[in-house]
Amino acid sequence: MNCNECQEYMVAHLEGALEQETDLAWKKHLSECDDCKEILQSFQELEFELKKRGPITADVSLVNPVMDRIKRIEVNKQSQETERSTFMSRLLKWRWSMGVGAFAGMALLILLVVFPGTNNIAAAAEAISRGVKAIGKLTSIHLKGKLRTLPRDNFSSIAPDQEFVDIELWKEFKPAVKWKVEKPGRIAAMNGETTILFIRPDYAYKIPEPTRSAFDTGWLLQIADISGSLNEELKTIEKNGLKTKVEHIKDASGNPKTEVTVEVKSAYSGDDFLKNTFFCTADTRRVYVFDDQSGLLTAARIYLEGWTDSTLLFELSQIDYDPEFASETFQIDLPEDVTWDRSGDILPDNKKYEAMSSEEAARTFFEACGREDWEEAGKFDTITTSFKTYYGGIKIISLGEHFTGMISLINGDEFVPYEIELRDGTKRKHNIALRRHQTTNRWFVDGGI
Amino acid sequence: MELPDKELIEKCLSENSDYFRFLVRRYEKPLFAYLLGRLKNRQQAVEAAQEAMVRAYMGLSNLKKPESFHSWLIGIGARVALELFRTNQRDSRNTNEIEGFAAERVGDVEDFRIDEVIAELPEIQRQMILLRYYESYSCLEVAELLQIPIGTVTKTLSRAYATLRQKLSVTSPELLEALS
Repeated sequence: MNCNECQEYMVAHLEGALEQETDLAWKKHLSECDDCKEILQSFQELEFELKKRGPITADVSLVNPVMDRIKRIEVNKQSQETERSTFMSRLLKWRWSMGVGAFAGMALLILLVVFPGTNNIAAAAEAISRGVKAIGKLTSIHLKGKLRTLPRDNFSSIAPDQEFVDIELWKEFKPAVKWKVEKPGRIAAMNGETTILFIRPDYAYKIPEPTRSAFDTGWLLQIADISGSLNEELKTIEKNGLKTKVEHIKDASGNPKTEVTVEVKSAYSGDDFLKNTFFCTADTRRVYVFDDQSGLLTAARIYLEGWTDSTLLFELSQIDYDPEFASETFQIDLPEDVTWDRSGDILPDNKKYEAMSSEEAARTFFEACGREDWEEAGKFDTITTSFKTYYGGIKIISLGEHFTGMISLINGDEFVPYEIELRDGTKRKHNIALRRHQTTNRWFVDGGI
Repeated sequence: MELPDKELIEKCLSENSDYFRFLVRRYEKPLFAYLLGRLKNRQQAVEAAQEAMVRAYMGLSNLKKPESFHSWLIGIGARVALELFRTNQRDSRNTNEIEGFAAERVGDVEDFRIDEVIAELPEIQRQMILLRYYESYSCLEVAELLQIPIGTVTKTLSRAYATLRQKLSVTSPELLEALS
């Protein structure tokens, strides 16, 4: 064996991977060669250093934090493009519950492309400007409409395959801002001092200060600023030459109205499999109805086009300008047995919970429910009486690795797949959404149970 | 087999930024090990590594030789570490912390130099070092993963060792530049 061969076999020798015969020849050469001995020694030192790398980097995981930051950068870039903050697009920018997670990250990079068409921009602009002027300075507003979503689910969750749910908003701009948004199973209200979320039947969360919006009600509260929203829509139509249509109609009582339709097409062709799976790959049609006599906006509708033809997603059917509200409008009637959320409390052993991964948090939470340790489970979720009845004594069948979706970019949710068996033997398979609380850094349950 | 860096970078630039996650996954450990060697503080090393990765993404279209992504990334890491070190120096009166930033010492090879030199190895040697020592696969597993004979793995590693040994005996000019 010569020096070259000897040096090529060195790692094999260190790894114990040399066959006996070769190893003997290798050792023989080494015993006779000082140069190779020296090299072996330096290889051993190197190996010692290199072998430290595995253990010291074992728990390093940068993919999620880095990709989150990158996606945020991309989203910011995108939001400076077309469709910045038009009237109805706000609603859809917030949350799109269909297919979330399925194509995480992909659709974010697709920009809307506007196809100009036969146009009535001047007529549309006239109706919209008149609508803005007619409003003047609002002191209060009341909106009533319907949205395809689930009654108790998040305010910004939209599901085109669900039935309509009533949604209502009250907002006072003067003297001090107050607001309330209500769906059948969920109410949020800000009475000028505190902001409260109530989910029927017995869960409540309090922010001890006034807020401009909270609990994902932002999109509806922005729409409540009708003149601001209409101005934005007008700018977008003019800037991008959106396809518009103006029609003069009569409503059920024979009052003359002007209907302005705005169409937005995505850059996706009809046969692309991502088409219509996200808002930014979907085609939408927005309709504004103005009263000819007063010029005021009286109704608005948004349709998803191409999702089983044309689906009405959201309809604003009643708009009351400057109504007078009773003093109790912005209060919520809470039941006596309401349970207040504690996710903002810093625990004595908070560090232990901060250190958990979302998978560990899910396991700890479900195990606590299994042994009905409500003190422990309460560190992850607000434990109401109805919750105890349902989840007490569960058994974990399986827990998977966490995944993230489009929505994670906005709210930081991680989803852990689970299967559990309830006390009555029913099995339940779903994904639990966990989010780190901003001040306590603990994971708390954000949905999926 | 996984896509080489060059293809991942092209896809990342032309198709979807999401491909960057494979590069993060591939180089998070060597980058972290390097920064830990420099900063001697795990939390700071994690922060610096994240920052370096994001900067690498932002500057990806300026990278002239996609094959040298790894050493380019380590170079970015060196700058981030230096900035962090300078900030610490301004913010902290605790001299011990400042000394924590590993300066070059004559005659004493700092362990982070190894991570630097690894980044400059030829692709195949580099790939095996990463799998064997950072990802902690055995030589046999590396052979199975890359579908090559185990003898090729150990020989390639021996060659990598020889290059590392040689390069570690001289101070890298890039490093001096990065720190100046």
